Amino acid sequence: MLTCKEFDDFMVDYLEQGLPVWRNFMCWLHVKMCRECADFVRDYKRAVKLGQIAFDSPDEPVPDFVPEELIKAALSHRRSN
Amino acid sequence: MARATSAISRAKPATTAGTSQSEYLDSSEKELLDCLRAGDNGCYEILVRRFGPQVLATAKRYLRSDADAADCFQDTFLAVFKSIDKFEQRSTIGTWLRGITINQCLMRIRAQGRRQEDSIEHLLPVFDEKGNRMDSCSSNGSCQIDELLDTAQMKQLVREKILELPDTSRVMLLLRDIDGYSTKEAATILGISVTAAKTRLHRSRTALGALLKPEMERLKYHADV
Repeated sequence: MLTCKEFDDFMVDYLEQGLPVWRNFMCWLHVKMCRECADFVRDYKRAVKLGQIAFDSPDEPVPDFVPEELIKAALSHRRSN
Repeated sequence: MARATSAISRAKPATTAGTSQSEYLDSSEKELLDCLRAGDNGCYEILVRRFGPQVLATAKRYLRSDADAADCFQDTFLAVFKSIDKFEQRSTIGTWLRGITINQCLMRIRAQGRRQEDSIEHLLPVFDEKGNRMDSCSSNGSCQIDELLDTAQMKQLVREKILELPDTSRVMLLLRDIDGYSTKEAATILGISVTAAKTRLHRSRTALGALLKPEMERLKYHADV
């Protein structure tokens, strides 16, 4: 069985399903057998999810308006260049 | 030009960066592009007004101060104006603009020099000599915490914690998890190997998780009370 350290080294690829089948199985098995790593994976996934939710989709309309002076400065910047 | 301007002003902003994208612009974006390449001032104003909020929001994500974000806003549109002829139409205008914005942010971060960054080592897991995890990450009530994820309070908290990360970690996290670039694309943008990018990403996510954990416990406590 993998050690926790070895599992940690493979974790990004494991969560992105980028490991060969056998190594993927070894990681899966480790998580099933190791409470500490299972908890760690849960917190890790939550951190990723929270980060994504915190910014929502960057493609959605942005609530911030752009100050008019900033728009005018960008346009005059262009004209002067 | 009024008709063209009207059509362009209805053009939709970007699709997701780093994911599969149409190779072609829709008709209104093509019209906007043609108009920009013709050097029409009105179209430049439409571009800035339409995509300005997206550009400013992206700059604010990557840069630590509003003043830097405002400067980056100017630099981004100047770069767009100068390189509009080089736009190869392999993404939407919004996606292309986001790439330019992020590049401008990274240039600014690099230009500010490599500041002494705070270490995140204390936020990373510790293993004993046999490779066993030494720190216990167990916590209770994770399901209840998940119910708090979508609150404004939590969003603000997470943004603050991401801002606490050193630039190298923060930028990696933003590129990969927020702006949706693949690890390979993020590695290319940062000029590092894919292996180094994976390591940096893993450390960044782990550090963010460690920073958030006590806060989530605190929020859960207040939610339960």
